[in-house]
Amino acid sequence: MPDSGYPWPISTTRLDNGLRVVVSEDRTAPAVAVNLWYDVGSRHEPAGQTGFAHLFEHLMFEGSTHVAKTEHMRLVQGAGGSLNATTNPDRTNYFETVPAEHLELALWLEADRMGGLVPALTQETLDNQRDVVKNERRQRYENVPYGDAWLRLLPLLYPPGHPYHHATIGSMADLNAADLATFQAFHQTYYAPNNAVLSVVGDTTVDEVVALAEKYFGGIPPRPEIPAAPDGRVVPASGVPAVETVVTEVPAPRVYVAHRTHPFGSPGYDVVTVLATVLGSGRGSRLYQRLADGERIAQPDLVGAYGVDLAHAPAPLIATATARPGVSGERLAAGLAEVVDELATVPVTAAELDRAKALLTTAWWRQMSTVDGRADVLSRYATQFGDPTTVAERLPAWLAVTAEQIAEVAAEVLRADDRATLTYLPQDKQ
Amino acid sequence: MTLIADRPGPGTARPYRFPQVVRRSVAGGDVVAAHLPGQNLAVAMLLLDAGAGREPVGREGLGGVLAKALEEGTTQRDATAYALAIEALGTELVTGLDWDTFQASVQVPVGRLGAAVELLAEAVRTPRLDPDDVRRVRDDEVTALRMDWANPGPRADAALRADLFGAGNRWGRPMYGDPDSVAGLDVEDVTVFHSEWFIRPGTLVVAGDLDRLDLDALAATAFTGTGGGPVDRGTPIEVPVRAGRRIILVDRPGSVQSTLRLGHPGPHRAHPDHVPIALAGTVLGGAFTSRLNHLIREVRGYTYGIRGDFGSSRRFGRFAVSSNVQTAVTAPALVEVVGEIARTQAGGVTEDELAVARSWRAGQLSVELQSPRAIAGALSTLVVHDLPDDYHARLREELLGAQVDQVSAAAATHLRPESLTLVVEGDAAVIRDELVATGLGELTDHPSAELPRM
Repeated sequence: MPDSGYPWPISTTRLDNGLRVVVSEDRTAPAVAVNLWYDVGSRHEPAGQTGFAHLFEHLMFEGSTHVAKTEHMRLVQGAGGSLNATTNPDRTNYFETVPAEHLELALWLEADRMGGLVPALTQETLDNQRDVVKNERRQRYENVPYGDAWLRLLPLLYPPGHPYHHATIGSMADLNAADLATFQAFHQTYYAPNNAVLSVVGDTTVDEVVALAEKYFGGIPPRPEIPAAPDGRVVPASGVPAVETVVTEVPAPRVYVAHRTHPFGSPGYDVVTVLATVLGSGRGSRLYQRLADGERIAQPDLVGAYGVDLAHAPAPLIATATARPGVSGERLAAGLAEVVDELATVPVTAAELDRAKALLTTAWWRQMSTVDGRADVLSRYATQFGDPTTVAERLPAWLAVTAEQIAEVAAEVLRADDRATLTYLPQDKQ
Repeated sequence: MTLIADRPGPGTARPYRFPQVVRRSVAGGDVVAAHLPGQNLAVAMLLLDAGAGREPVGREGLGGVLAKALEEGTTQRDATAYALAIEALGTELVTGLDWDTFQASVQVPVGRLGAAVELLAEAVRTPRLDPDDVRRVRDDEVTALRMDWANPGPRADAALRADLFGAGNRWGRPMYGDPDSVAGLDVEDVTVFHSEWFIRPGTLVVAGDLDRLDLDALAATAFTGTGGGPVDRGTPIEVPVRAGRRIILVDRPGSVQSTLRLGHPGPHRAHPDHVPIALAGTVLGGAFTSRLNHLIREVRGYTYGIRGDFGSSRRFGRFAVSSNVQTAVTAPALVEVVGEIARTQAGGVTEDELAVARSWRAGQLSVELQSPRAIAGALSTLVVHDLPDDYHARLREELLGAQVDQVSAAAATHLRPESLTLVVEGDAAVIRDELVATGLGELTDHPSAELPRM
């Protein structure tokens, strides 16, 4: 059993403006990953501004003080690099992996949009990217069967006003109402060096990265007051199951069962991670064995369970199954609930536990097998827990989880009277 | 000013190297391995000459059903015991299929690779294939395909493929089959396909720290009990190109977007112009900075994304563009896409565009080939297309050396804007008249049934 999940060096430096610079040297391949986490996500969005953090992420690719519109992509791809960005309820991240000789270019680009986005932001750019994001919403959520499940589950799990109540993609109405001044203010409020972590992993050295970070980011002033998102850590149990049934254009009944658990990073969530794997990862999982194989009421490719790794409130655990032909949504929902309930009553066997830990071990090393995978976890642990070296503790923590802990946590957080159930049913043919 | 105005140039380039490749012939089969020193994970992938191209016409989806049936128990243990055994090692049995090969792979911490390859071989070589299980797996696969075909895309893909290659040919039908073709399979189809193609040795690809792996032992495990030699893989297929453009409309009532699939036949993988063709495709539709993505997304805002490329297998290839655009802009988007393809064919590429394309494609050979899984994929390219150990290094040089005139010539020769088939899957009642009015080509309504239901 490994005593560390991160057998590479980690160095952290804080610049005078508050930017934390995390470096992890690995000369195996001539590539380097640059990853920035800004501690702002959709949890910071007030009512009427849903989807703004994510739309803003798009604007970050549209030019800054010394970078013309669309030039960011062209320069990184023209250097041979891969790049992207993502937004979730917790945070926004930006990342590129480039051949090692282009590290300085990547840092220059990131610094320019951290310190100089506002002067380049135009109404035309906003209108264009608003249309792109609306098409993203159509493509990913509206035009595919079950595509809006996540949008429906969040308000069932988190009450109005809770930072996770609304989905990151936002509403069409709010996106339509977005104005330029709001986005200028958004950047000025949140995109500050003292609200970010820069991680660099790969074919470089600590000295090189710190010197370059100082050169390019060192002149960007910090913001004295960065407003916190609403506190969502305590969500009172309603004591009443939340149930929603959607009758729509879907090919088969599907059920989602969801619970609030513990925040990512807590000991309780480590237990939930192992529990979710026992419950719903692979053909040896309880859901597969019971619903896809045993009773044969669920489609084998579409049964599973997973935790959503959110750190600022009790994170969701979601279990789902889709009915085989001839099986009703009601029967499927009952079967799914029964398997979830049994996590508290039927002890997890040693074989189930070993299987889950083996799958998690492979998944961990898969994340660690690329410089970009490592850069993202270092940014996460520095941003969310204040210390990137704590990343080494996660895999050992999973491997230490016991069957008793799983039963305890299941009894605590998977209660039927505090469950959200979302069922999709096919429309009757006209 | 707090920001540095001057864009930095590159530092000294590190030498490119693909991991050391090791080849062995053991127990009647071939091993192709890459040495990844210090890597904790390892991947083993068995490649069999049993791709979709080997399926008889009318039996599309056979390989997919067999792949699922492999996990329904072996001569040594039942399905549940097999799942628990392989997952206890930290891996699932991952199967894949393309036109040229069938792949089965495992990914585990390096010390467990021997045990994982034993289980891989057990499933591939000695599956139980109990008739009741095979029938159930087939029915499940029909259901899974119906689920998939309820999404936008699969029906449009099938319509395009049939129009390019002819539905009378295996390569003119969907790679994974469709719900009807799979529903028509019987147990014997599956057992015969297995005995014909799955007990030939094939090639074992290994990516991992070879200092901690015994290739001979892995190979002996993978090839035990196999027999039969390689079978002729066929020559490239001559695919006729249409004389004029046509539009095929696939109805999807109520759709808020239209799914676009445009294409024409293209060169097979071993064509001597492969690199300039790939670069022409990259400039036109391959990168985020491509002409199509710039115009349709970044200027017009019609879509979340659009891409186009030349795809090829051993025996055939195609140029294709795919996107989803907002319903209201379907016709103008289609006109602009066809216009951009025509401009690229007629005018070629610029030095600035090619500079980005060649650096990007070359850089991706280091940036995207890091994990054991990615390296195993690169090795499988060597195997399937009979390429040498230094292929990736040579490819890099060829990419970096490509000139504007070569790439423009490839665009002029291999793009056929006048022969495009334009498949549009969307709300026909809303977009049909506008599509006709574009004058891009004669419109045909696709005779497909309504959306699948269960």
